Amino acid sequence: MSPLENLTIKSFHDGLVSKKFSAREIAQAHFAHIKKADTNIGAYLRLSEESALREAENVDLAVARGDEVGLLAGAPLALKDNLLVKGGRATAASKMLEGYIASYDAGVIQKLKAERVVFLGKTNMDEFAMGSSTENSALHPTKNPHDPTCVPGGSSGGSAAAVASHMALAALGSDTGGSIRQPAAFCGVVGLKPTYGAVSRSGLIAMCSSLDQIGPLTKTVEDAAILFSSIAGHDPLDATSVHYAYDDLANPKLETIKKLCVGIPEEYFGEGISEEVRSGVEDAIKKIKGLGLQFKKISLPHTKYALSTYYIVMPAEVSSNLGRFDGIRYCRTAQTNADDTQKNAEKGQRESVSSQRTSALSEIYFRQRGMGFGTETKRRIILGTFVLSSGYYDAYYEKAQRVRRLMKNDFESAFKEVDVMLTPVTPTPAFKIGEKIDDPLSMYLSDIFTIPANLAGVPALSLPIKSYPYPSAELPVGFQLIGKWHHEADILGLGQLYEKI
Amino acid sequence: MRTRKRPLLFCPILGNKLKSKCIMSSPIDKKTLAHLAKLARIELGPDEEEKLLKDLGGIFSHFKELEALDTSGVAPLTGGSDLQNVFRDDGERENTNQKAGIEQFPETHDGFLKVPPVFE
Repeated sequence: MSPLENLTIKSFHDGLVSKKFSAREIAQAHFAHIKKADTNIGAYLRLSEESALREAENVDLAVARGDEVGLLAGAPLALKDNLLVKGGRATAASKMLEGYIASYDAGVIQKLKAERVVFLGKTNMDEFAMGSSTENSALHPTKNPHDPTCVPGGSSGGSAAAVASHMALAALGSDTGGSIRQPAAFCGVVGLKPTYGAVSRSGLIAMCSSLDQIGPLTKTVEDAAILFSSIAGHDPLDATSVHYAYDDLANPKLETIKKLCVGIPEEYFGEGISEEVRSGVEDAIKKIKGLGLQFKKISLPHTKYALSTYYIVMPAEVSSNLGRFDGIRYCRTAQTNADDTQKNAEKGQRESVSSQRTSALSEIYFRQRGMGFGTETKRRIILGTFVLSSGYYDAYYEKAQRVRRLMKNDFESAFKEVDVMLTPVTPTPAFKIGEKIDDPLSMYLSDIFTIPANLAGVPALSLPIKSYPYPSAELPVGFQLIGKWHHEADILGLGQLYEKI
Repeated sequence: MRTRKRPLLFCPILGNKLKSKCIMSSPIDKKTLAHLAKLARIELGPDEEEKLLKDLGGIFSHFKELEALDTSGVAPLTGGSDLQNVFRDDGERENTNQKAGIEQFPETHDGFLKVPPVFE
């Protein structure tokens, strides 16, 4: 058993301040474990060992001096590769950004640097966070730590796999339609999609700006509360981030939590949910009922339109956000141009290398975007270009925005009756690698229970129905707690209560 | 063990409706696709075109369900939060990180991005 197995953010902090171990020792132990375990899993895209050990030593010096250090000081964390860390590479797992070096720190990175977090490295993901299996990474796929023939989920699959296999104490991911919660459920870890606006999106490589949120993937709900508390807050560089003061989320008032009313939305419990998920979620409901919480059946009648609405709103914003990748800026270098042209010339499809220099600017755009983007990314850009084009805007994009309003209204009415909602995270446990990659609709369906929270902007927590030691003989199953806007305290509180059962 | 009893496209909320709809026509034909690719500045290979047409057909047939939903009188929800008019002081700033941006240009000339001629 790995000594890192029982280590959480909380127990790491306790061990660090009581001098049971040093931050450097724990960082080194993580790197040693990563070098062994990650050859089979592929969670990381690259490591930052030198800077990590340097920061760990600084924290150790502070502890030796007797300085008071925060809960996250020295904690070894992994970061999804769509987060910018100044001076480091950030590829969003796309060929388009293979030469890009970030020129500033993301808002969340500034906050974590102030807490003296140790960054172990950047994790794999679906290209530009588009996908539900991490198979869309332009670099390599990531495997589920519990079953290497299965996907870890996505798009934050590398982050979820790293935390599940103890290659990081915790990680950050981003969630646009389920990209934190779905991989958390597939890998048996905890994942939080915060309220839209709770966490700054500055320095997150944008996919869908009205839905994207950064959030934690952790081993325990308590850790998720700690990490979320440290990254939440207003940032002048993200005009959609809000001023909101959260209470002490890691120390919930259990008596208050027990008085919450839990809603069960009937639309989330129809046919088509696998037996493992159904019985797992029913077990979770039984356990929470045993704590004395009140349950109520509710309805979110527009749930069935979530997938259609999402696959109009999201590609529209994708086509706009990814317009900045013109193949020139963000360091698609001249060298790369020549290399790619060379490859095409060899295939006999394109002009010779020498014509590259004299070709028109637009030629570069077409060629670089054609070669730099993967299949799923192109599919969404084309779809988004269509729904935004004149003549179709009203019928598709504006229509979807109206339906999005109806979905938000559903949540507003339901939250007058209940405080939190309990649902499955995914219809099935992790699926096989390759099973859905050629069938986009079937892939999209794995996010059917997570998309509504993004469209409505409410916070949602994915947590495993029980603890899954790594590696587990069975595939993990999770359940989802959805809270009112900015009521992360309710879902994190109930989650912490559940963990203690 | 995990067995898939349902067809691949069985949707927990929509049921089999989804599968039967997948063969319906899409508003994107080969010509439209070429136009969209041009607008999006993306070069597509012949294999890619074929695959995209097929995939988009499936996706668009799913969108049909929205047509039946009456949304008259519903205001479009255009963003993720209810914030309005987020202002900042319009003061002067001496420092920018322009230099860091320039460093990410593949070719530069006097601090500008160097590209082939825009007009030829």
